[in-house]
Amino acid sequence: MFEPMTDVIPSFFAWINQGPLTLTLFLHSIIILPMFWIYRQEKTRLENESK
Amino acid sequence: MANKVSVWTDNRFWQRSAAWVTGFAAVLLIWLTFDTSAQISMGTDADLQNGVTKRVPGPTVINYKITYEMSAKRGHEVPIIGGNDGSGMSLFQEKEKFFGRDDYSEEEAGALLHLGKLGSQTKNCMNCHTLLGNGAYYAPDLTKSWLDPAWQDGGTMQAMTGKSTKEEAMAEFLQHPSTYPTHARMMPDLGITAEEAKGLVAFLKHMSSIDTNGFPRNFGKIQGAVNGK
Repeated sequence: MFEPMTDVIPSFFAWINQGPLTLTLFLHSIIILPMFWIYRQEKTRLENESK
Repeated sequence: MANKVSVWTDNRFWQRSAAWVTGFAAVLLIWLTFDTSAQISMGTDADLQNGVTKRVPGPTVINYKITYEMSAKRGHEVPIIGGNDGSGMSLFQEKEKFFGRDDYSEEEAGALLHLGKLGSQTKNCMNCHTLLGNGAYYAPDLTKSWLDPAWQDGGTMQAMTGKSTKEEAMAEFLQHPSTYPTHARMMPDLGITAEEAKGLVAFLKHMSSIDTNGFPRNFGKIQGAVNGK
């Protein structure tokens, strides 16, 4: 899953592009996970408004 | 007990999600642009002399011997400039004569590459060939053509063109392509002059030294596919 850095010039993007799984894990954790937080915030707000 | 609410049908949730995804993707792509610009900027003669590996070496790389060797660490072939240190890294030592010289200055080599680049655009090589992933697959991929076994010493192309070095054979072929039966789809005569051909060969030699992360894969190993054997 986590491969050693083999690119000729080490960079952040080389690391996240080591394989499709690395890229998927990165994009999901950085983009999808915060959306759960947005979801929970909005849910709380709607619940408070409908009280 | 709170009333049941529907977040999925709430506009604000979708607006905030869209803003987050778009905003983050924009930041990531702008960062990627600058990261790429730094990686694809051309090296210098000093880099080559100091043994600094650049993804795109300086123009004076045409003074060096270039080979394409399997790197166990990276899992694909990499261009090796001036000899292999044994671990798949370039030594930048072994020179190779290019049209009888191996002492092209940075200006001379740069001018040759520039002439070759303009020539490749004028003659529209990409109309049939592929260069660094851009172009067509009607004719062979030129990204690593300098390293194609067919052009090496003892290869078919030197015998066919009657020349004794790779660069002379390539230059001769480029000037009179329709004279030499290579593929079923033969290259037409494009009116390339001797000087333009020299520039084009320098352009191809430099291109073969660019680290393309192993593209095209298995170059020179697939029979009948890449080098048309």
